[in-house]
Amino acid sequence: MSTEQPSPTDSTTTSAGERLASLRQRFEVFEGDRLGQIGLAILALFIFIGIFARPYTIELFDFTFSTPGLAPYDPGERAVGDRLESPSAAHPLGTTDMGRDVLSQLIAGTRVTLIVGSLAAFMAVFIGTNVGLISAYFGGWVDDVLMRITDIVYGVPFLPFAIVLVAILGSSIVNIIAAIVLILWRSTARVIRAQVLSHKQRPYVESAQAIGAGHVRIMYRHILPNVLPLTFLYAAFAVAWAVIAEASLSFLGFGDPNMLSWGEMIYNVYTANAIREAWWWVFPPGICIMLFVMSVFFIGRTLEKEVNPELNHQ
Amino acid sequence: MTLLDIDGLKTYYGSDDGWVRATDDASLSIERGETVGLVGESGSGKTTLAKSIIRLLPDNAEIVDGSIEFDGTEITELSDRELRRQIRWSEISMIPQNAMNGFDPVYTVGDQIVEVIRHHEDDTSKAEARERGRELFDDLGIDPDRIDDYPHQFSGGMAQRAMIALALALSPSLVLADEPTTALDVVIQDRILETIKEMQEELNSAMIMITHDMSVVSETCDRIAVVYGGRIVELADAETIITNPRHPYTLGLRNAFPDISDDDQELISIPGTPPELVDPGEGCRFAPRCPFAEEECWEVTPQPESYGDGHQVECHRADEIEHLQAEAGKKETWREQDLGERKPVETADEQAAEAEVELDD
Amino acid sequence: MGLRAYVVRRCLQLVVTFWAFFTLLFVLFRMMPGDPTSMFIMDGMTPEQREQRIAELGLNEPLHVQYIEYVRQLLTGDFGQSFIYNDPVTSIIAVRFMNTIVLMATALIFAYIIGITFGALMGWWRDSRFERGGIVVTLVARSSPEFWVGIVLLSVFVFWLGWFPSSGMRTTGGELGGGFVARYGSLDFLRHLFLPALTGAIAYLATPTLLMRSTMLDVLNADFIEIKKAEGLPERTVLYKHAARNSILPIVTVAAIATGTAMGGSVVIETVFNWPGMGREMVSAVNNNDYPLAMAAFFLMGSVVIIMNFVADLAYVYLDPRVEYE
Repeated sequence: MSTEQPSPTDSTTTSAGERLASLRQRFEVFEGDRLGQIGLAILALFIFIGIFARPYTIELFDFTFSTPGLAPYDPGERAVGDRLESPSAAHPLGTTDMGRDVLSQLIAGTRVTLIVGSLAAFMAVFIGTNVGLISAYFGGWVDDVLMRITDIVYGVPFLPFAIVLVAILGSSIVNIIAAIVLILWRSTARVIRAQVLSHKQRPYVESAQAIGAGHVRIMYRHILPNVLPLTFLYAAFAVAWAVIAEASLSFLGFGDPNMLSWGEMIYNVYTANAIREAWWWVFPPGICIMLFVMSVFFIGRTLEKEVNPELNHQ
Repeated sequence: MTLLDIDGLKTYYGSDDGWVRATDDASLSIERGETVGLVGESGSGKTTLAKSIIRLLPDNAEIVDGSIEFDGTEITELSDRELRRQIRWSEISMIPQNAMNGFDPVYTVGDQIVEVIRHHEDDTSKAEARERGRELFDDLGIDPDRIDDYPHQFSGGMAQRAMIALALALSPSLVLADEPTTALDVVIQDRILETIKEMQEELNSAMIMITHDMSVVSETCDRIAVVYGGRIVELADAETIITNPRHPYTLGLRNAFPDISDDDQELISIPGTPPELVDPGEGCRFAPRCPFAEEECWEVTPQPESYGDGHQVECHRADEIEHLQAEAGKKETWREQDLGERKPVETADEQAAEAEVELDD
Repeated sequence: MGLRAYVVRRCLQLVVTFWAFFTLLFVLFRMMPGDPTSMFIMDGMTPEQREQRIAELGLNEPLHVQYIEYVRQLLTGDFGQSFIYNDPVTSIIAVRFMNTIVLMATALIFAYIIGITFGALMGWWRDSRFERGGIVVTLVARSSPEFWVGIVLLSVFVFWLGWFPSSGMRTTGGELGGGFVARYGSLDFLRHLFLPALTGAIAYLATPTLLMRSTMLDVLNADFIEIKKAEGLPERTVLYKHAARNSILPIVTVAAIATGTAMGGSVVIETVFNWPGMGREMVSAVNNNDYPLAMAAFFLMGSVVIIMNFVADLAYVYLDPRVEYE
């Protein structure tokens, strides 16, 4: 029962200190939530792998730091082993049909997943939040136009759209992210709009208007902090969704050929016709996709309890 | 002849802070055809007491002690199946606070009446059950053809009548009516109460009327049990409770409701809120809000004392009846600002520190 | 606003959405960098053949003329000739579309039957081990992209156990053609259908399960559930006849929208299992620069999504007479 502290959506204005405190509270929701903790642990592991996948050299004035890369081989280098070698000490996850090291590919693929997931989710939620905020705040024809556009985007099936777009513009990571963002913002826009509509009626908005605050100030200084928790929640779901979308696109052969992702690894197994024999090549990337998305969903579920307490308190 | 005999009933709710003693050592018996009112504020535990009788309690609630003997059957010892087959609805039915929400919105009222009749009477045909529903509708003053309407097509008063039809469909010996009229406007309230009364007399059913409204019980009930803090603090026939109560809480409740015979009466409410029922400790539970509390009241839990004619009171000062009644009629007696001064210092802080727990209703 | 006015307004929205959708399609397919002809014209043509082909496709006309011609073709259901098959696109698509519908309908029916049942039980036994386990299983299913579920099923049931055929819709040499029952009713077909349909069912299971659970929790708090229990009805009756029946309304809306989503998913599932449906056809059409075919497939899939969204909105209003429409 959260009787002592008002839920973050009810606060009127938030100072930096309060915001920090509420951030700390948000982490407290993971206490006693096993699924959320598992999610955080898995995600942290993937972030670590993604950052240290390849060796770094940082030059700072006279000092040179270098970190070892986690990937034992260059993921693109051919014939570091035999063709389709099954797992061994030298190649813990075996090799591909070109004799590349599967483990190294898997580690390198983590980074692609992190980049696509975070960038696409950030942009989609950024657009969605702004559309929802503007639509609900101004209402009238602005709302009508923006919501009709949202409806139209809801009418576009994602994968076929992304395939066509990527086929036309070319298979690059930028185009893939663009295709995902162009579709993904729609759900955030609808949810944020509904939330802002309810906040618009509250007294704090009226009093801000009364003291002569401008539209931009009211929207971004007063209303936005109150819908931010919901934005975070949708960002988590957007990460999960973007990763699945990228994996599916890559699996279909529309991935960026210069950035090997987990989905693309499975596509390679398919085109090499090795799916029947090379289990060590198919399963690791699939399991990684599943674990990564799962960790985000687990975290999202925990955040949901915070954002929408009535949903789970029953 | 005694229909229902509740003895020393304790129904507790499990919570993070410990057991919430929603009903604590309540005893009450009801005769056939009799109407007994359970009166108290929200959170006094009156609904828990009534629902314990058919064991309609949430998963975290438990009858920890006491007995409920209904027509020779010990209800606390029945299996779930026996309870469903022998007691629920066929013997004891209920009328909820808001009839509109008491019906499943996706079936017609008629279907729901037929469902319950056929569930309990294996050899009643669908047509017979339906016909009985139509007759009940007619008796209750609803057009029988409306039996095929959905609940949301009824007005509030009509839904309440339909609910009464549902409650009486199996001619139960006892009806639990949980604030059956609070959701309705005043004019309809009276008519519904009359209807309930007529039907009840016709079927010779007993009834427990749960309400916070003194005027409702005074009109409909034979006897009244005043509930506070999970205990029955005063029990007597309706006349006595209205005209000659002995418990300060009853006096307070009476002040809070308009008296039909006295136009000049000033409404006075009881300051404070119902007590925290987790580990209440010794002492009278009303003491923190009672204008007449003395040292003894804080230290010793009062036990029921008999004052003749079935009049029972749990109050240390019930003997000083004239003084209490005279003082209780004055507004200044119940002033909120005196509340703190009435409490001994050490308990005052405790009380203030404790968060209040919302119980039933 | 009355029901009538709402329906009329929603119909107008449908028309606008459709217009926006096929205009988007037009822009998308003509947005190609450089000369659009280079992408769709075969190599090794003489300049004359090339000119003739461009004229045939109407690509030498000004854009607005092309647009009007494009709208006329869509309205008459004429999508032109496929470059690869050299057949009218409409006849190629018709068969593929039917195959996709059969596959995805089966998948969705299973997903919703299983999801509704399990979601209802999870709500009924809240805070039980069953509910907690069920949530984890559901979230894992939701975290698995369609192709991954498909590959796992293929590996287990085909490569390891050998219970099912790995790909296609029927064993080679199997009888093609015939009526609907002959095409889709044979045991051979059902054996081919099983795994791809199961893949879809698992992939789409999470939404109805989680939604059913949360609406169940809402409905179980309603007064009438307590009354039904007080009536002495057995738990099973209260659960299925009353609680679950009331929780199912929002599911109907979601089911209609999911049908649209499944159209996108068909692309992946059909590729994994080599199912001769529209999704796989679209992928190969895009890869082969078969522009009329790709566009027609995209158009059909989008139409299904738009129409199902429309159906979802109307279904909700008709199914629940208490609903107030904005």
